[in-house]
Amino acid sequence: MARKQRDVLSVEWVKLELIRTAYATRGGLFSVMDPRMVLGWYLILAIIPWFTHNLTVLAVLFVVAAISVALARVGPLILALFVFGLLTEAVYIFIAAIFFGGDLTTIMALLELTLKLGTISMASMAAFVSLDPEKLSDALLALRAPALLAFAVSYGYRMLPILVEEFNTVFDNYRLRSAPPEKPGFLGFRSIAHWIKMAILAFYPIFLNTAQSVRTTVEALETRGFTYATVDQRGRNIRLAYLKVGALDLAVVAVTIILVAGAFWCGQVWPVYHVDLLR
Amino acid sequence: MTTTPAIALHDVSFRYPGADEDTLRNVNLTIDTADFVTVVGGNGSAKTTLCKTFNGLVPHYWSGDFAGVTEVCGIDTYTSNVAELSSRVGYVYQDFMNQLVRPTVRDEISFSPINFGMPDHAERTAEALEMLRITDLADRFVWQLSGGEGHLTALASVLAMRPEIIVVDEPVAELDPARALEIYERLEVLNQQHGITVVTIEHHAEFIAQFAKSVVLMDQGSPVWHLPVQEAVNRSSQLEAHGIPAPQVVQAVQALGYDQSPRTVKDAAQLIGPAVATLQSDAVADQEEHAAQRPVVAAASKVHHSYRTVKSSLQPVLNGLDLQVHRGDRIALVGGNGSGKTTLLKLLSGIMVARQGEIQVNGINTRSRSATRLSEHAAYLWQHPQQMFLKESIEADIALYPKERKVADWQHLVQHTLQQVRLTQFAHRDGRSLSGGQQRRATLAIGLAMQPTLLVLDEPTASLDITSRDAVISMLDELSDVIASAVVATHDMSLVSEWANRVVVLRNGQVAADLTPRALFDYPELLAEAHLVPPQIAQLGQAVGLSPAPLSVAEFIARFQPDELVGTGWTKSVGVKQ
Repeated sequence: MARKQRDVLSVEWVKLELIRTAYATRGGLFSVMDPRMVLGWYLILAIIPWFTHNLTVLAVLFVVAAISVALARVGPLILALFVFGLLTEAVYIFIAAIFFGGDLTTIMALLELTLKLGTISMASMAAFVSLDPEKLSDALLALRAPALLAFAVSYGYRMLPILVEEFNTVFDNYRLRSAPPEKPGFLGFRSIAHWIKMAILAFYPIFLNTAQSVRTTVEALETRGFTYATVDQRGRNIRLAYLKVGALDLAVVAVTIILVAGAFWCGQVWPVYHVDLLR
Repeated sequence: MTTTPAIALHDVSFRYPGADEDTLRNVNLTIDTADFVTVVGGNGSAKTTLCKTFNGLVPHYWSGDFAGVTEVCGIDTYTSNVAELSSRVGYVYQDFMNQLVRPTVRDEISFSPINFGMPDHAERTAEALEMLRITDLADRFVWQLSGGEGHLTALASVLAMRPEIIVVDEPVAELDPARALEIYERLEVLNQQHGITVVTIEHHAEFIAQFAKSVVLMDQGSPVWHLPVQEAVNRSSQLEAHGIPAPQVVQAVQALGYDQSPRTVKDAAQLIGPAVATLQSDAVADQEEHAAQRPVVAAASKVHHSYRTVKSSLQPVLNGLDLQVHRGDRIALVGGNGSGKTTLLKLLSGIMVARQGEIQVNGINTRSRSATRLSEHAAYLWQHPQQMFLKESIEADIALYPKERKVADWQHLVQHTLQQVRLTQFAHRDGRSLSGGQQRRATLAIGLAMQPTLLVLDEPTASLDITSRDAVISMLDELSDVIASAVVATHDMSLVSEWANRVVVLRNGQVAADLTPRALFDYPELLAEAHLVPPQIAQLGQAVGLSPAPLSVAEFIARFQPDELVGTGWTKSVGVKQ
């Protein structure tokens, strides 16, 4: 097969997707909201599903979450990972249930869990894709999370593209210098095993290189008043001055609450529980 | 003197926690306000530790045994703290990319003012951006910045605190010469127009001679002397003993028998006067055999390549490039940032394939083989050595390829390669623990052990001090009969003039020029576009009228004959030895 330059399903693509996801470059409804309200909105959809076993309610919430994902313009990589995760989980549940002598009851009970997890995952995607790390970090700071945690979020994201790049380089080094298996094996099994091995080994040099380079970072943070700002509140106030709850924020949260209430109303009118499905 | 000096150290000694001996020993040093000081000295002479006493990192962050008094702007650092001192002293690290902690340039620069709760932080940020003329970079992400832009950002981020003193640790180390020159020019402006005291750590005598006002020579933890720059430059042999070879102009002028030490090319040219006009000197007759007669090792034809950007558009890098590499070629690939040097190298070694066009290596189309298989023909050496250290020792790293690929008698090959790069005694060390020059040689050994037909190197002399750089260049030179052909992407004009036999200039994704190193220096506009600074000796050759430009000091001496008619006016007072 002739090699050619690929724009999707390559390391480069993964890197770009991570950046696009992290910095909300696709825009979307939640990216213009106040980050604290986005977190609040997320908590509504993340907590409510745990309070019910009513499949109707869960189904409506699932749809609400799915619409949010569309409104937040979640990118293809994250979406594909989510769908992949959901599908493999379904298959795995099915096999596990059959294998351990379970029956349809078990599957239905697990279906409920899948619906809940699906709703929460989609809400997370919608929220965190729309919050660039700076906003997330500021929201955490505003909500009195430890300054170190808030900083770690934004610094972690700054390092992300660099680490992916570094991983790519080290992986290429392994690819060029180690020997591939002589035969690909059944279904390319040996080749795949070789790739997985290289991917794991590639982490070690990165750890060592990063450990070396953060020494300067820590020292620089000290000189630039990072520790000072954890004691003195003025810096925090300046940093958070731009946060403001507007009409859009209130509207989005209000609509969400109405939709959640609507979901429970539907649940009252047409209640379906997993035991019902088996009758 | 009534004014307070910017920095004053009295009997300062310091020992790092857990160390056996003092790193700083009894340092007495005074740096005046608005001085431009360069700190020089060999490896391990405590230059960096000295500079870290200025902003209180020693002894507050590094809490070892500290004795003596350090006064910065009249403040005793021992009773002060890092936070207070940071508003007076800005520090730019040698690995400045690691000091950038925020996602965008603007955030980075406002980071300190905001942390210190300054209401005028936006104003300070704008001012710092403007002082270094990088306002257009403000909204860029820091991981998108080139080395030069990253350095300016780090500098701006300390300027936002409106410091009285700026310390810059080896600006030249991680930057190409043209960028380093630019940094020095901006530092000069900060020093002259804004009265900021500038302290740099430096190995390159050319920059010291051109920009510093005074020089501190450190040895074994204390200053040997602190002298005005001209007096310091005059002591070139002493500097050379401490790993700072004299600038080429000084070497040339002194070899011609003068005892002055001119600080710039212009001064040197005035001193020695114009040369006798020679048409085509015999010394220059190019002994180049005809390249076309040698077999082709690698060929690129009509290669187009582009990258996806975050915004999904395509950023073209190579635009229909054609290139043939012959056996015996030592190609220096030069060009500005983003001109496609690294891309071309990766395509030649088969790590990537082009969007359009074909590349053949050893007659194999790179599309027809995996990168893993192509590495049997072409070896690629990355710019940062630590990215190539995969194993626990350099010996294991060198052995990785021949051992896994079952090369016959690989143990012998590894030992032989270690000898070739003179690293046998470090065979069991982790590559990361070696010095910069040793790391480069180790990566070179990794490449050699792959026994490639084509060796491809990305910036092999970047971030090395002069001594290590010269060692790497002479090693490449020694190995030229082992390596069939090599392509090197570089900004280093010493590498171009002392090693390469062919220079390929890239511009707008195409080959703009393909010539000999000597010819390159006759095209100033080509050099400027590719962000290249010719070696001082070539500049001096041109200034005195030698054409084509000389490539080494020895060649300059051999070819230079003062024009008696014009020259006497300049030389009568200095007495030329003949």
